[in-house]
Amino acid sequence: GHAMAPAPQQGEISDHFTACDMCFNRCGMIARVRNGRVVKLDPNPKFLKSRGMLCARGNAATAHIYDPDRLKTPLLRKGARGEGKWQRITWDQAMDHTAEQFERIAEKYTRSGIMFSPGSDMQSQFMIRFAEVFGSYNITSHETLCLLSNHRAYLDTFGETPYPDVLYTKYIIIAGANPYEAIITPDTIDLMEARKNGCKMVVLDPRYTKTAALADEWHPIRPGTDMAFFLALAHVIIHEGLYDPEYAEEMLFGLEEFRSHTRKYSPEWAAGETGIPAEDIRRIAREIAAAAPTAMVYTGRRTSDYEDSTQIRRSMAIVNALLANWDRPGGILASREVGVRAPYFDIPWYDDNPDDRIDHGMAPGLIHHEGSFKLMRDAIIKEQPYPIRGWFTFKTNFMQTAANRNKTIEMLDHLDFIVNADITMTDTAWYSDLVLPSPSFLERNDPVSALQGSSACACAIWRDAVVPAMYESRDMRWICTELSNRLGFPEAFDFTLDEYRTWQLESIPEAAQAIKEDGVYYNPSKVYGIYFDVPLKTQAQKIELYNQRYVNMGLDPMPVYKAPRREQGKFRLVVGRTAFFTHSNTNNALLIEFKDENTLWMHPRAAAGLGLRDGERVFVTSDAGRVQLALRIYEGIEEETVYMATGFGALSPGQRLVHKRGASIAEVLEDHADHISGNMAMHETLVTVSRRLS
Amino acid sequence: MKKYAMVVDSSVCIDCKGCMVSCKVQNNVPNGYWRNWIKHTTPDFSRGKLTRTHFQPGGCMQCDVPTCVQACPSGATFKDAQTGIVHVNEALCIGCGNCIRSCPYGARFRHPERRVPNKCDFCFSSGRLDRGLLPACVDTCPTKARVFGDLNDSESEVSRLLRDRPAVRVTSRNIDTQPNMYYLTATEPADWPTDVEFPAAYASMASLVNPVVKVAVGLSALGVAAMWVKQAFAPDPDETDHEPSATEQDRGAP
Repeated sequence: GHAMAPAPQQGEISDHFTACDMCFNRCGMIARVRNGRVVKLDPNPKFLKSRGMLCARGNAATAHIYDPDRLKTPLLRKGARGEGKWQRITWDQAMDHTAEQFERIAEKYTRSGIMFSPGSDMQSQFMIRFAEVFGSYNITSHETLCLLSNHRAYLDTFGETPYPDVLYTKYIIIAGANPYEAIITPDTIDLMEARKNGCKMVVLDPRYTKTAALADEWHPIRPGTDMAFFLALAHVIIHEGLYDPEYAEEMLFGLEEFRSHTRKYSPEWAAGETGIPAEDIRRIAREIAAAAPTAMVYTGRRTSDYEDSTQIRRSMAIVNALLANWDRPGGILASREVGVRAPYFDIPWYDDNPDDRIDHGMAPGLIHHEGSFKLMRDAIIKEQPYPIRGWFTFKTNFMQTAANRNKTIEMLDHLDFIVNADITMTDTAWYSDLVLPSPSFLERNDPVSALQGSSACACAIWRDAVVPAMYESRDMRWICTELSNRLGFPEAFDFTLDEYRTWQLESIPEAAQAIKEDGVYYNPSKVYGIYFDVPLKTQAQKIELYNQRYVNMGLDPMPVYKAPRREQGKFRLVVGRTAFFTHSNTNNALLIEFKDENTLWMHPRAAAGLGLRDGERVFVTSDAGRVQLALRIYEGIEEETVYMATGFGALSPGQRLVHKRGASIAEVLEDHADHISGNMAMHETLVTVSRRLS
Repeated sequence: MKKYAMVVDSSVCIDCKGCMVSCKVQNNVPNGYWRNWIKHTTPDFSRGKLTRTHFQPGGCMQCDVPTCVQACPSGATFKDAQTGIVHVNEALCIGCGNCIRSCPYGARFRHPERRVPNKCDFCFSSGRLDRGLLPACVDTCPTKARVFGDLNDSESEVSRLLRDRPAVRVTSRNIDTQPNMYYLTATEPADWPTDVEFPAAYASMASLVNPVVKVAVGLSALGVAAMWVKQAFAPDPDETDHEPSATEQDRGAP
């Protein structure tokens, strides 16, 4: 017979459970290691949240860990910020320097004079613990550019942030979300399984996303008009009596007020706003009501889009309320008991600290432990109500993800000391004073994290190092321990990771064994009917269509539609992403092959009006800045809208694959904020598009 | 004896590229090349709200009539009778590239460093099958659009799927390659395999190669000749009712 070629590679393969870190889903992985090297990552079939799958990003974690662009030693800035002159220093020097700078700033500007951005890593909790013991109120993270307005809306309607039970739903409307590209587990996978079982999917999006491409119906809605659609949906459901009156009596607060409120919001009116025909709106309302309660308006993730985002999401939440899907199969579910505890620690009192965080009171519905990066940045620039002079960031890249990069650079001019810990030289690292090399998720031991995924799971995981930390990288727990020793509160980090995990699992000690054996522990906690006989955590103890607290804060108690501004000759710029990149994490040798720069999508009629040709480089200009990138003329975009993907046009030469490739959304997006939550509003930018500069 | 096959439900593919990266890492596929792919239809936006795109994963079809094997003058490309997998024995390969040109699916590429053809082998040579693991693309697929198994095992999922669901095979117009990648019906696009083109100059090729491989060349050339005969007697595609896409309807296990 034939000899097989090529010969298999030599060396035994060992298998290690871990959880992915290429986005925030924490999907279960098995790392295959040969000769001390991670050679392959496969899905953990026992990991219910990720449904035994691994997406392109998870598979590309081998290129992440062995990225030639990784930071290798601590680097101290020598020249001007952003000039790229660095000096290698030892970790001892780096920790001494950081402790000195923190002490100096705390002395002069109080401990809240340092802002902490701990990212969304499994070790972020150590940085938060450090910041709180150190004494700063000013902690903010990536979430203020992401889903806080959605959290706010559901907290103020249901008293909780729900998990959509996509798997069992029979009718789903997806508006302003793109789960087939912005992958979230288990929703993305469950959405296909639900579709196999006959679930109808209606997608509203000005852009022909892959979710739209696979939908039963795609409506290229005019951007910023989603509330008009959902108020009209509510109008039909209420005025045609398509809701369950007994449920309404028992569970809904303010239905009568909402009934009169929505009288004027007819499908015919909404058609004029959204561009979706009235008969479609009326039909969709009837269809989804007929499928209720096994039907939903998908709750979505990134909702940092409009100045009215919280109220837009409230209008969606209220339609869910009318569908009576709360806490029921195929509907939107309450949080389940996972059982992971946050270990207690003393937060000391510092007399000289200001009263509250710097952005306190700047948005009526600020989520206190997150704040608003947009509002904090404004306050730092104004130095009001008090100065912030230091910034400690961990695996967060606001320079590439926060709207209005020029303003972020302006903020840096007000800071005396910026220290950044990350895997590679991101744009934020590039503008820092001290850069600390972090190990990748495959090279460190992490504390326990609790994860939820609708009916799929309530689970606990941890990570053990699959391979040793590379170069001189050190994890955040080590950094916080070193700094707390130098700053005089060593007791805050006087524990081993095993001790910490034991504290976290105090109420579920059986979890440790399960995590070792299967890579995950499942809590068999209640899934549905959690609120059966228990009042909701809202003021009315019911689902609040009418929010009394909003009235007291001077806000509209019910969502009031305001048409998005339009200007002749300008386009609304929307941003989004692909299934193979997370945010600005584009510098990956495997993934960059799918897309090595972003383009500007524009409808053929709009391009014809401007005399632009497919593929030519165009200028995109807003009040915040200007970028240049290639034009993609494509029918899959609403005529008054243009689109570009996140994660390109990096300033940092340390990200060689995306440095100056394509254009950065951060450069051209104007920085608006959601009026209620303070969340960044990324879809409020109007731009001109031109071949030449006028 | 196994007969490995893949049954693909392309209607659930979301074009996430997970299969492509998983394959690339598992098989050390060089930058710029892929052993598998996801094709898609061109959306017709005149359909308004009903505009759709169909995504279709693919890769080497491990054909029962492998035109690459027939085109190979040295016997380097062969179909393994034990598994049904079409392999490349790199030691026998003379680097002529005929197999690459003769594959109507474009499933092969010339490895830029090794200068020999490279293609999907259901992850056999990576050792996954021996370890009891699924091919990398199948294992990682979020929606499990790709299903892998042994058609000689009537209990396997691929056998069950082919029993229970109508399936099609995508083949070229001039030769039915009898691929072992089955698509559940309504897959699109189906008109992409090119016509099989065999290089003409076998004689001049044979004069260049090592005498040791000439026997294999002779056998292979016989295979090609036999097929040309078969073609000569086959009905002209234009005279049949077949659609130009040449998609063979197939029900049940072969």
